[in-house]
This record gives sequence, structure tokens and C-alpha cells, in this order.
Amino acid sequence: MTERLRRIDILLIAGAFLLLLPLLKFQRATDYIIFCVFVLSFDLIYGYMGRLSFGHMLFLGAGAYGATLFADRVSPNPFLSLLFAIAAAAAVGALLGPVAVRATGAAFALINLAFNQVGHFLVLIAFARFTGGEDGMAAVFSKVGFLDFQDKRVLFGFCLACLLLTCWGMKRLTTSPFGILLRMIKENETRVKFLGYDTFRYKWAAYTLSAGVAGFSGALSILNYGYVTPSFIDTNRNVEVIFASLIGGAGSIYGSLVGGVVFMAISNYLPTYIPRWEMFLGFGLLLLVFRFRTGIWGALSALEVFRPRREGEGG
Amino acid sequence: MSEPLLTVDAVDAAYGSASVLHQVSLRVDSGEMVFIAGRNGAGKTTLLKTIAGFMVPAAGAVRLEGRDLRGIRPENVARLGVRYVFQDKRVFSKLTVRENLELAAHPSGERMPDVVARMVSIYPAMEKFLDSKAGGLSGGQRQILLIGRALTGNPKILLVDEPTEGLAAGVIDDIFRLLSEMKGRLSMLIVEQNLPVAARLADRVYVMKEGKIFQELATRAEIEAPGALERNL
Repeated sequence: MTERLRRIDILLIAGAFLLLLPLLKFQRATDYIIFCVFVLSFDLIYGYMGRLSFGHMLFLGAGAYGATLFADRVSPNPFLSLLFAIAAAAAVGALLGPVAVRATGAAFALINLAFNQVGHFLVLIAFARFTGGEDGMAAVFSKVGFLDFQDKRVLFGFCLACLLLTCWGMKRLTTSPFGILLRMIKENETRVKFLGYDTFRYKWAAYTLSAGVAGFSGALSILNYGYVTPSFIDTNRNVEVIFASLIGGAGSIYGSLVGGVVFMAISNYLPTYIPRWEMFLGFGLLLLVFRFRTGIWGALSALEVFRPRREGEGG
Repeated sequence: MSEPLLTVDAVDAAYGSASVLHQVSLRVDSGEMVFIAGRNGAGKTTLLKTIAGFMVPAAGAVRLEGRDLRGIRPENVARLGVRYVFQDKRVFSKLTVRENLELAAHPSGERMPDVVARMVSIYPAMEKFLDSKAGGLSGGQRQILLIGRALTGNPKILLVDEPTEGLAAGVIDDIFRLLSEMKGRLSMLIVEQNLPVAARLADRVYVMKEGKIFQELATRAEIEAPGALERNL
């Protein structure tokens, strides 16, 4: 993407999602937006920090259940529920982070899967009295001033604003010294340590932050659907965010958005025409892994027209 | 006699069951430029890694200004002022030269303008590459960037592993001009197989063989004696 386009990217993203409206109903378009927030949260630890997690649904679930329980037991104010959900998911991330971030590769992926499985068990069986078990529970939110989230147009606008805020925050974060450090931990953690960095603390912070953003997306889902079930924390659904990240291109905000939208489009439309659509998604993924490893956005960025020009590059 | 800046005292180190260093002892005084010479596999890089905290000695001690570094993690050894310049000249290739410097400046607390100014002062040609990806630099430029990066935060000692390996003759001159300009102001422990250069600049040379210090050449007369280094390799 050229520098000029990069400066107005938040506007372009807003415009692109508004263009979805003639094609989708408000609730479905909102669903696309919320999923993109989730993909962005995943990309922070996968694309930027280089740790593939098979358990990111845990944090989406923590946010979803956190928002629902808060609305049910404390206050129906949607903003307070959102804040509580973010804090709850981040707290889960902060608690599990010291164990998870010490691992790399397959160990990191499987530790997260194990945590996710425990979380799923807790909401489904152990705390079923509070969470509604398999049936889940409904969440009812009150109006706040003129904002009524029962109105799907209002909710669409709010979620779009939340996505833009997340994109802006992620952009600031990933271009900050902290973001640079995360990318370098992915490239070579040992060398980063030799520069005097305690990489554990940075990985833990990124993990917690990623969990908080995932919880945010979970809470937005509850605003959109009005109920929570164990499917919000189901380990089997981790492949969705991994696929989306790979399809769009990991380590890029734009790639996450492209991946989120393309995956949602595939998973919404393909089943209408093809009963075993997952098989074709699998073939698509194979094609990506072998032919387009940088995803759709990576392939587009490699085109000359999108490449930023810098004087003195190379040498 | 005052305490040396760095003391390696009867250190043993091993990769699993394979013993690599045997009772290695050396010292580097403040402002000294000390070379380690030896054939491939003599244990030179392992010694630097042990000093930098990347490997824990099986026996013996590594001390910086009298403080035992044993068990201190590499990032904390770096914070104490020990900087390691790797052999393979790998910079953070996806970052710009400026970002590479910024990454080093942040934990040291040194201001970026000062870090950039020092980099440009030691190698003026780097100024035009500051906003270019470090992956696009030549091997020699990368090595100079690594040395410049290691100098952030006023380190006490540089551990430099084969700085001239694989570089063209002109670039080797640049690198040793740079190192010789720092001589006396900064302590350096340099692994180097380029014996004429080592003989020209060294305050002291340790020759390693099969994981042991085989010989110490502690005076300029010993180092400059014809064939003193070559004979013992």
C-alpha cells in the first residue's frame, strides 16, 4: 500500500465495510466486523509475535461470558459489560500468559488448546449453574441515551467504530517500539535477549493484550446476538481464526481484515451451494500454504503498484 | 593489582554430554583489546557464549568487575554492560537501520539522536541507509551496524566474534580502523583468525586449542615475535 493510501487507511476500511451493506443484512455485516476484530487479536500473537495458538477461542469465550454474566447479574449497561468483558478476558490472558508464553512452536499451540478445553469444560459442566451449561444464557442490555443496540443499524455503526478503533490501536501498537520488538522476537528471540530485553515480559504483555481484544470481540458478539452458548468457547472453532489469518496474510492489519471478510463470506455462502464446503476450504488452504504463503494481502502487496517507494533502499 | 574488568576463572562448559571448554582462564583489563585465536572447533565461540550468559559454566566462574555472572540470564548480562556481536552478521533484516538502532537504544535508556549520531560518526556512509531495510546492507555494513548497535548505552566490554570473516579486504580495514579507534576507551574481547590484524592491535592474545587456553601472549614483544601466533595454531 502506498504511503498516501496508508495515511487514510482507517477511512478506506470504513468505506469498504459500508460497501458490504447492499450485499448483507445489518446483523450479518456486523458479524463480519466482529470476526475481523477477533482475527486482529489473534494476529497480534500469531502474525506479529510468531506464536500459533490453537486456543484463542478461550478469550473470545471469556469476553462473551463476561459480558453476559455482567449484564445478567450486575448491570444491563452495554458499555460497562463491554469493559468488564475486556478486563475479564485480559485477566484470563494475564493469568495463563506466564505459563503459555514460555513455550514455542507446537508446545505453545497445544498448551493454549488445553487451556481452551478447560475453559470449555468449566462453562459447559463445572459452572453450568451460572453459565446455563449447554443451553447457554440470554443477555439483555439497556438503552444508553439515544444508543439502542436492539436497533441493528445502531449496532452496526457502533461495531464498525469499534473495529476502526481496534485497527487504529493495532496500527499504533505494531509500529511502536513494542511492536517492533514483537516482530523481532518472532525473527530471533535470542538476539533480542542479547540486546538486554526481558522478552518474557513483552510476550506476556502481548498475550494479555491479545486476550483482551479477543474478549472485546466476544462481548460485541453478545451485543449482536443477545445470547451466549458454549459454542463461543468451542475448541473446534479455533481453526476459523487460523484459516482467516492465513487467507488474509498474517502479520498485517489489512491482511487480518481481508482474511476475516473472505473467511466469513466463504463460510456463509459456500454451504448454500456445497454441502461439504469445509473440504473446499481445506483445498483452498493447501493452495495458500504452498502457493501464496503470505496470503491474499501479502500477494497484493507484492504487486509493484502497491509497493511503497523509498529512496536509498538497498545498497 | 586492581581487579580485572572481566575474569574467566577455570571455566568448564559443555553441550549436553559433549565437553567443550576445559579449565579456561583469562582476563580482560579496563580498556584492553584482547584477542582469542585458534582453529575452528577450539571452543572460541563457546567461550564468548558462556561469558554472555547464553551457556552456564559446568565449573568455574565468570566475573565482571568482581561480580559473578554465573546464573544471570543473557538479557541481564547485556544490561550489566556486556555486549555480544555475533559471528553471522545477522541484523534484524526486516527493520530499517534506524529501527535496529532504536531496538538497542530502548533498554539502554540512551537517546536515539545520540545513538544515530554515534553510528554516523563511526561510519558516515551509514547516514544514507538509516531509513533503508537493514537486510539490504552489504556484509561489511551489517557488521558495522552490529558494532554500532552494540555500543549503545556505553557498554563495559564488547565480545566480538570473528568480525572480518567472509568480508572483502577493504571492508576488513574499515572494521579494524573502527575497532582500533575505540581501543583504550572500551574493553574488547575479539575472536579473530586474521592473525596479522590480531598481532597489530592486540594488548594480549590467548591461543585456544581443543577447548583449552594453550598459550597466553601477554606483552607486545611476545605478540610481535616472528611467527609467535602462527606457530601455536
